[in-house]
Amino acid sequence: MMNYGYSEKGQEGSLSDFHLWRKILQFSAPYWLSLFFAVIISILITWATLTLPHLVQTAIDHYITATTVATDARIAGLTRTAIHYGVLIFAIFFASFCQVLVLEWVGQSVMHTVRQRLFHHLLHLDLPFFNSNPTGRLVTRLTNDIQNMNEMFTSVIVTLFNDLLQLTGILVLLFWMNPRLAGVMTIFIPLAIIITIFFARLAREQFRAIRIQLAKINSFLAENLSGMSIIQLFGRQESNRQTFEHLSEGFLQRTLSQIKLFGTFMPLTEFMSSAAIALILWYGGGEVLQKRLTLGELVAFISYMRLFFQPLRELAQKYSVVQSAMASAERIFQLLDTKSEIVELEQPVQLPKIQGSLLFKNIHFGYQADNPILHDVSLALYPGQTVALVGTTGSGKTTLVNLLLRFYDPQAGTIRIDDTDIACLELRKLRTIVGVILQDVFILQDTLFANIVMDTGCSREKTEAILNQTGMNRFVDKLPAGLDTIIGEGGLELSTGEKQLLSFARVLCRNPAILVLDEATAAIDTESENILEQAIADSFKGRTSLVIAHRLSTIRRADHIVVMAHGKIVEQGSHEELLQRNGHYALLVAMDLQNDQSSHAAHGNEVVDS
Amino acid sequence: MPFSQLRELLLPTFRQHRLRLAAGFAALILVDLLQLTIPRFIKHGVDGLTAMTITPVGLLHLAGLILLFAGMVVVLRFAWRYLIIGFSRLLERTIRNRIFAHIVKMDAPFFEKYTTGDLMAHSSNDLGAVQMACGMGMVAAVDALVMSLAAIGFMIAIHPMLTLLALLPMPILAVTTRILSGKLHKRFATVQEQFSSMTEFSRSTLISIGLIKAYTMEDFQTDRFGKLGRKYVRSNLRVAAIQGLISPLATLIGSLGLLMVLYFGGRLVINNTITLGDFVAFITYLYMLIWPMMAIGWVANLVQRGLTSLGRIHDLVTSRTTLPDPVLPVPPAMLKHPGYELKNMSFRYSSSTAPAVDNLTLSFGPGIHGVTGRTGSGKSTLCKILARLYPVADGQLFFGGTDVNQLPLQFIRAHIGYVGQEPVLFSDTIAANIALGRADASREEVIQAAVNAAIHEDIVGLKDGYDTMTGERGVKLSGGQRQRLALARALLCDRPVLIIDDGLSAVDVATEHEVFAGLKRHFAGKTVLIVSNRIKLLSMTDRIIILADGAVQSEGSHEQLLQENSLYQSMYAKQMTQDALKEPESP
Ligand SMILES: Nc1ncnc2c1ncn2[C@@H]1O[C@H](COP(=O)(O)OP(=O)(O)OP(=O)(O)O)[C@@H](O)[C@H]1O
Ligand SMILES: Nc1ncnc2c1ncn2[C@@H]1O[C@H](COP(=O)(O)OP(=O)(O)OP(=O)(O)O)[C@@H](O)[C@H]1O
Ligand SMILES: [Mg+2]
Ligand SMILES: [Mg+2]
Repeated sequence: MMNYGYSEKGQEGSLSDFHLWRKILQFSAPYWLSLFFAVIISILITWATLTLPHLVQTAIDHYITATTVATDARIAGLTRTAIHYGVLIFAIFFASFCQVLVLEWVGQSVMHTVRQRLFHHLLHLDLPFFNSNPTGRLVTRLTNDIQNMNEMFTSVIVTLFNDLLQLTGILVLLFWMNPRLAGVMTIFIPLAIIITIFFARLAREQFRAIRIQLAKINSFLAENLSGMSIIQLFGRQESNRQTFEHLSEGFLQRTLSQIKLFGTFMPLTEFMSSAAIALILWYGGGEVLQKRLTLGELVAFISYMRLFFQPLRELAQKYSVVQSAMASAERIFQLLDTKSEIVELEQPVQLPKIQGSLLFKNIHFGYQADNPILHDVSLALYPGQTVALVGTTGSGKTTLVNLLLRFYDPQAGTIRIDDTDIACLELRKLRTIVGVILQDVFILQDTLFANIVMDTGCSREKTEAILNQTGMNRFVDKLPAGLDTIIGEGGLELSTGEKQLLSFARVLCRNPAILVLDEATAAIDTESENILEQAIADSFKGRTSLVIAHRLSTIRRADHIVVMAHGKIVEQGSHEELLQRNGHYALLVAMDLQNDQSSHAAHGNEVVDS
Repeated sequence: MPFSQLRELLLPTFRQHRLRLAAGFAALILVDLLQLTIPRFIKHGVDGLTAMTITPVGLLHLAGLILLFAGMVVVLRFAWRYLIIGFSRLLERTIRNRIFAHIVKMDAPFFEKYTTGDLMAHSSNDLGAVQMACGMGMVAAVDALVMSLAAIGFMIAIHPMLTLLALLPMPILAVTTRILSGKLHKRFATVQEQFSSMTEFSRSTLISIGLIKAYTMEDFQTDRFGKLGRKYVRSNLRVAAIQGLISPLATLIGSLGLLMVLYFGGRLVINNTITLGDFVAFITYLYMLIWPMMAIGWVANLVQRGLTSLGRIHDLVTSRTTLPDPVLPVPPAMLKHPGYELKNMSFRYSSSTAPAVDNLTLSFGPGIHGVTGRTGSGKSTLCKILARLYPVADGQLFFGGTDVNQLPLQFIRAHIGYVGQEPVLFSDTIAANIALGRADASREEVIQAAVNAAIHEDIVGLKDGYDTMTGERGVKLSGGQRQRLALARALLCDRPVLIIDDGLSAVDVATEHEVFAGLKRHFAGKTVLIVSNRIKLLSMTDRIIILADGAVQSEGSHEQLLQENSLYQSMYAKQMTQDALKEPESP
């Protein structure tokens, strides 16, 4: 299965961690009846399984070797025992089947709940969290780790329970049959436990090493796959192949040492089983010779011994599975306990009617506290005003948008919408009021229609109207299945400009009170841009908008222009004011328009003429 | 069917490790034989006890023998595990490396056909299935064969008729496991598919977390994830329904055999046809048979799964790139001033119906060439074709006067510095990202490239300077910083051809100016193709090409186009005139 995970360090997950067990129990509480049922079945199965050798023993002692009894009676008794035996084995069969189903159902249902909870929780965590946690690791939590935990419910709880029950049952039986012989046999228990714990400890280390290496291979592979064209264009195939082979070799070495460990341990438990049989034969045989033990009992002892070692071996193997499941559980619950730093108020302020004024007041911010990006930024937008934000790259424009959406909270200063601090609004509400086109365009792997409508429930007719309005129908009509074409990875790739057009359609569908465009037309041609501007002008008449752009032509519609540099606002005013001031903005305009002025004037006329 | 696949993918490794395998299987068979003898000792003991002929010393003797044999088994078991399972891991590594080596040679259409998710699945699930089949699968097959033959042999030696009775239920087990595991395989494949789609879904959702949050899609996506999850639960239950049958069924059938022995064998003992020792040994052999019988069904399934996976891997590693990559007897010398010539070139993406490039005729050599055109007019497609990421038919594209299909790929690519429209960054340091094409570049050279791309100042401002990790897909950099990093990467290579696909769109005017001025100086005499929608940038190029619907609509100098091309005129009107900056004109 897919695993984009990175390293899995830290958490060990121990069986005795009651905190974890409590949480697991909390999640399984709704299913207590089914679990109880499974336990009852488990007891039944164990009882039946242990009765079988006993029946064989009865048959041998009372009928098969009972030479003193009449042959007919012996055969009749044998028949009765056989029928008894037959009934039991069918009962075991049905009970085991039920048990597997019930536990799988419980396990999967619980895991589904955990998975949903975790997914929901993750989506509500803040962006700093996502910056420091690679996607691959989070995906691993959601999928592989939960799968691991499920393992505990189905196979482990069953076997653990069945095996432990069976072990105790056998021990009791052995003691009941012959305390002396049973006493001798018990020396194998501490031996087995020591070996198992020793093995489990080693195995855990190796499992971890293997998992980490596999995660490395997978993330290397994933990154190479998504950047393959660049790798090929820059001729990195050979060196990346070598890196991959190196990782692959590391994986091989780790699996080989795991094989050595298992190769030592597995035969050892088998050896103990044989040793036990040898002991029974020697010691028990002596007892038989001294008439302190019947032959049937000896045979039964030998069979029980086999039954005894099988769960012991399984327990040892499952021990490491349980450990890994516990480690997974711990990682999952830890993630569930992570708190978002962006918190909503208990009683958020309700904004009945949005006027659309927007105020950034003395904002200080840095992604890391010790590395400030924005210094004392203040900016006011009146309702209905269009403000353009220009500035050198990396000056903090996108950062300002991130703050407005409350992806991050400023270290100092406030942002207000209609005089309400955005920190007092419900996040959902805030993000419905502010509609943005993000600088990075993301496509969900879905149909074009779903990508435009998102969660608005916008109708098809309205969507088509928007497409016409934005001039997008030109390219949608070209798509094989129109609006229903699947786009994104694994579907049809759109050109960069087409993706930006798509973002416009998205925001038009939402119809927000405040519009923010972050480099929304960078890859769009002039004609499409004109159409879009018209569409925006029609749909957002009288609404507040903040437009970030480098192309001065895009900025011209703005009522007010703000120039940023190095995280500060260096100038603001209308186009004319700023030109007159002859500062940064005037320089930018001059640079953009600077053409040898003579030809410029001439062409200008020609354009007008044509 | 897949013998050629077996031969091609597996045989070389099998041959290379034949001694290892031979030794491993010898150990395995020895283990089986030794294990089969242990019940003989038990039978001996029980018989002796029944007849009361055995002495305590005799018993001790037997116990010692059992221990001795068990000790040998330990050693031999370790041996086969290490040799055979180890072999399967060796094989896995070989195939894994082979898959990667193949993938890095593939072209863009291949990566449209196989998504990242598919390829990841191939390299984990399919590889895992092959490894299992060649490791545990082979072991179980041989083991089951030897064990069942021997156990049956011993049983026949004791009493043929009873053997027949005891074995009566066994074929049922083999047949039902075979049928059930076939079903299980199908259902399990569904589970895996759904697991993959959950993984893909969560991955793509988490990558676009900014979008999800800004568009309040959290609950919407959680619901969709929940739907996938519920499907997954259902499929898992369908798997459990079969898994829950297989193992209890094996126990049932084993016990049925035991029942036969108990009933009929018991009668035989009562009739004094066989001894009690025989009876006990019989039961022991029967126990031994349960596992091989189960294994037969399991192995058949494993082998079938392994073969299917092997088939898929084989398809993957034998898939051909659509880009011809001829090997020339004499490697051609690098060209100093290469030019391109396109003659009626056409290209269509396999997933779309309309051609993205349509009868395009164009030629260009040293100099700076600007390309513009409306969104979706095929500019990026053209760039990718020029960089040899997508194939073209013979006689349509010439590089340095030779049909590109006659030239080795690496030869052409070694001439090209490429800046894509969407910058690709790897999670590594900034320096390593810049030095991607020239791992040997010194720090000074890297810095020089960064200076030329006007990104040096920004990098120095970062916490660890050039050693800063870029973060996943460069999330810690601004849009313009990412683009200039990609540009620095291409500048460092300093190759005769430079293709910039709108690589400055997120860069401010002043920086764009600075970079372009640098380009003009450094790339004099080289072939530069630069895609842009900015009239300012275009006006500084030597010649401008305007694309429309995948073909050249017009070309010429800035002045020429201003005279004759309406698209260009409207661009100019919007972007270059003072008037336009004041009042919006109605479109
Ligand atoms: N997630 C982040 N973690 C740390 N630093 C960041 C992060 N995002 C941006 N930065 C840094 O913050 C600064 C401002 O970035 P921002 O994205 O706001 O720039 P911008 O003005 O939008 O630039 P552009 O025009 O290139 O988009 C840059 O120096 C960038 O390196
Ligand atoms: N991988 C792909 N598979 C299928 N269709 C594609 C693929 N890439 C691009 N297209 C389609 O081919 C056409 C040309 O795309 P291309 O990327 O060349 O446009 P472009 O001129 O670069 O546009 P932009 O200015 O938006 O970057 C578009 O209609 C696009 O939807
Ligand atoms: Mg930005
Ligand atoms: Mg493009």
